[in-house]
Amino acid sequence: MGKFNQMLEEKVMPVAARIAGQKHLQALRDGIILTMPLIIIGSIFLILGFLPIDGYPEFMARTFGDQWSTKLLYPVSASFDIMALIAGFGIAYRLAEHYKVDALNAGAISVAAFILATPYFTMFTPEGAKEAIQVTGVLPMAYLGSKGLFVAMIIAILSTEIYRFIIQKNIVIKMPDGVPPSVSRSFVALFPAFLVILVVWLLRLLIENTSFETLHNVVGQLLQEPLSALGGSLIGALIAVFLVQLLWSTGLHGASIVGGVMGPIWLAQTDANRVALQAGQELPNVVTQQFFDIFIYLGGSGATISFALMMLFMAKSQQSKQLGRLAIGPGIFNINEPITFGAPIVMNPLLIIPFILTPLVLVITTYIGMSTGFAPRTAGVAVPWTTPPIIGGYLATGGNIRGALMQVINLVVAFAIYYPFFRMWDKQNLKQEQSTGN
Amino acid sequence: MMNILLCCAAGMSTSLLVTKMEAAAKAEGFEAKIWAVSASEVNQHLDQADVLLVGPQVRYLLPQLKKKGAEKGIPVDAINPVHYGRCNGEEVLKFARSLIGS
Repeated sequence: MGKFNQMLEEKVMPVAARIAGQKHLQALRDGIILTMPLIIIGSIFLILGFLPIDGYPEFMARTFGDQWSTKLLYPVSASFDIMALIAGFGIAYRLAEHYKVDALNAGAISVAAFILATPYFTMFTPEGAKEAIQVTGVLPMAYLGSKGLFVAMIIAILSTEIYRFIIQKNIVIKMPDGVPPSVSRSFVALFPAFLVILVVWLLRLLIENTSFETLHNVVGQLLQEPLSALGGSLIGALIAVFLVQLLWSTGLHGASIVGGVMGPIWLAQTDANRVALQAGQELPNVVTQQFFDIFIYLGGSGATISFALMMLFMAKSQQSKQLGRLAIGPGIFNINEPITFGAPIVMNPLLIIPFILTPLVLVITTYIGMSTGFAPRTAGVAVPWTTPPIIGGYLATGGNIRGALMQVINLVVAFAIYYPFFRMWDKQNLKQEQSTGN
Repeated sequence: MMNILLCCAAGMSTSLLVTKMEAAAKAEGFEAKIWAVSASEVNQHLDQADVLLVGPQVRYLLPQLKKKGAEKGIPVDAINPVHYGRCNGEEVLKFARSLIGS
């Protein structure tokens, strides 16, 4: 174990540190967080708009009028549908902070650059007409939401890199003699932002001359769609979960490291389901952020809530019982560091086996459940990852009891996998206690 | 009065430790302000701290955070995983005090 341990410290740690500390990935992660409170608030209205209860829409229509749903969903447009706009600002802000240049300015410039990369028209087919007509003077709402998320991410990084580069290079415009210094300074201050706008403007003009027409189409077809197909597949989910568990097995926060890369992809996947729900279409994606947070990581990474329950109710050794009492409270809210570091699971070959195996099996059961229609797919509702199991499954699927049922099934599966390992571990603890006379 | 800042990925599991450390500080009659934040919030809180303790699960951030701490003269170190797992407030408080040298 010593050599293995050393290998991990020397090989895995630096890689994890590089990924987690990479300034652009860090800015992406920290910037996108800015959208979360808004999306969670929007989710409350979303759930109320689509409660799958018989007679609910009719009741609402009778009570609040035919337009009830449209009006109830206003806040959804002001949260979910401007996700890219907010994220773009946040990412630029965090990146600028890292470079120690004016973050608020960088954020504002990034928003302007993002709008500049977005078409100012939308296509609309009037009733009875055969062909769509172009409506100008609008910003297509879809591009400001998850559909434009990757464009916002790229623009935020591009614009902030240009901005800080010019500032840090201290490029100065020479003004003729006689111009007061503060006047020349005020012109110089405009230069970095001007250059950002100039670059994105030229980019837009260039792309408008290609068959892509907009930057959103370029990024959507070349980046967002392939990445979503990869990250949203069963294999993609299994690889991601395996990496998360492997990192956690060495005591590193796998979900944070892997999520730092995969987060935007899963967020876009999540929101595609929300858009479909609102449009009355079938939900396209099985693998979403909530797929992992709510259905796989029951009690935290590794689905350890079952293990915590065993410690609490079935342990023979004092040590196991004590840890169970400590772990169950946070475990209900999907926080499991007391188990991973306390049992410990970290660097413990016996417990690492179920710790890695269980979530992988749960990915498969949940994937099968959701693709066959046995369990509902997540409805784009941003349920915080700290939501207790059973409640989480109910809410994440838009208030569907079968979502909770899927979680119960997963809990039972997790219990079955952990049980034999728990027995061996508890026996070890008991033996240790007896030999030391405790 | 000592200001002890704790940090992990989301600031959730370290907040668990905060309550235990507060209890330990109270029992010893030691005055301390102890609080936990997420890794993305550390920058905004570092100025108010005398010492920064990092959860073992985010110890990959240690080099970066140590550098930031050094700029401000604030000691930064990772919490012992066993103490962390068992939520041993007493030991972690002792560790924080040893880092500051109080």
